[in-house]
Amino acid sequence: MSETKQTKVVSFLCNWCSYGAADLAGVSRMQYPENIRVIRIPCTGRMSPKFVLSAFREGADGVWVSG
Amino acid sequence: MESYIEQIRTLAVDLLKSGKVDVVIGYRRGSVPMATVPFMARTPEQAKQLTWDSHCTLNLANYLTNRQEKIGIIAKGCDSRNIVNHIVENKINRDQLHIIGVPCKGMVNPKELQTLLDDEIISCAETGSTLTIASSQAEIKIEREDHLRNNCSLCTHRNPVIYDDLVGEAVEEPVLDDPFKDVNAIEAMDADEKWNYFDDLLDGCIRCYACRNACPLCYCPTCFVDESDPQWVGKGQNDTDIKTFHFLRAFHCAGRCTDCGACEAACPMDIHVRAFTRKLIKDSKELFGWEAGMDISKRPPLDTFAPDDPNDFIK
Amino acid sequence: MMANLLEHMGMEKDRVQFSWISSAEATKFATVAREVAQSVEALGPNTKFVKGSD
Repeated sequence: MSETKQTKVVSFLCNWCSYGAADLAGVSRMQYPENIRVIRIPCTGRMSPKFVLSAFREGADGVWVSG
Repeated sequence: MESYIEQIRTLAVDLLKSGKVDVVIGYRRGSVPMATVPFMARTPEQAKQLTWDSHCTLNLANYLTNRQEKIGIIAKGCDSRNIVNHIVENKINRDQLHIIGVPCKGMVNPKELQTLLDDEIISCAETGSTLTIASSQAEIKIEREDHLRNNCSLCTHRNPVIYDDLVGEAVEEPVLDDPFKDVNAIEAMDADEKWNYFDDLLDGCIRCYACRNACPLCYCPTCFVDESDPQWVGKGQNDTDIKTFHFLRAFHCAGRCTDCGACEAACPMDIHVRAFTRKLIKDSKELFGWEAGMDISKRPPLDTFAPDDPNDFIK
Repeated sequence: MMANLLEHMGMEKDRVQFSWISSAEATKFATVAREVAQSVEALGPNTKFVKGSD
């Protein structure tokens, strides 16, 4: 753990859309910030407000939902 | 009011006698003044106990969930909208119901009445639009219109939207200049002020879940607060857990809440829990042009997709 | 609507963000990821809805 707290963004990515895009970005060696923490969900339809709140509960600084 | 009671009883007795329904759900006088309790009349004799006054604050649609028998139910404006909700959400069949609609002029706020007298109110009588409340020391007469519950004074659907029999004449629907004044006031605050406002608001919450239990919309077999695996929200008095509970409870009512005020009437700590749902009602109206429980043939907006749904929050 | 209620309760608007990215849009993904990370960084650490913060 670093001394200064780094902001963490919990990202809920749809398996078929943004997760694919993230994968492609990785394969293409594109840079994106390291404070994006990815959680793969089967579909954005799986998203629930509970997830957002529990992310904050556990100390996330931001939540990003992407389909 | 007295004529309402007579008509309700006559209708209920007829329904039960003819065997059209197995039970009539209505109100009975409570054991303390200014209170009614929900009552299920199963025989014509029991139906004579049904009553109607300015204290029918609970929402009877709450007692319809997944019932199998034929039911007669007494419904004011908001109750009838919740019955529509139940039918749309397949919690009850329209054919099972015989709805006795009662045009409503608003229910009074007993907590407000109590503040008018120094000691405990021991009786409350009603003639026309006048209430006579008395404690052991004093007796005063008041106009019921001046002491309506907050949600009743903001109500624009006093007449039942769905009914088989209507008791009395339909009443005039009020037109409000600024129905969301309270919500706008909160919206005008900055983030920290809002946060503190809700902190103060929920200060007294004891997590009794009375608001959830009184709400006709809350019929999940296992509520998210009772789930333990995964446990979404802690069960203690932690501020974050309390807020999470209220946030999710309210959000589950998005696009469904009819502002019936049962949650607030049930709250033992007098928390203005409608502060959450009011915002959702306003958003439903502004974003989707939707008012809950108005039409039996329409699905709620968060349940359907329409090409013109607002999507400017998506990047 | 959920984001609206969170904001209503005092959560900063940019803490919860939504986007729509196809699996072919790697460039868009990287751009949006950077935007999201920056806007959250600008808000600083979150204190609301955190368990154990009070």
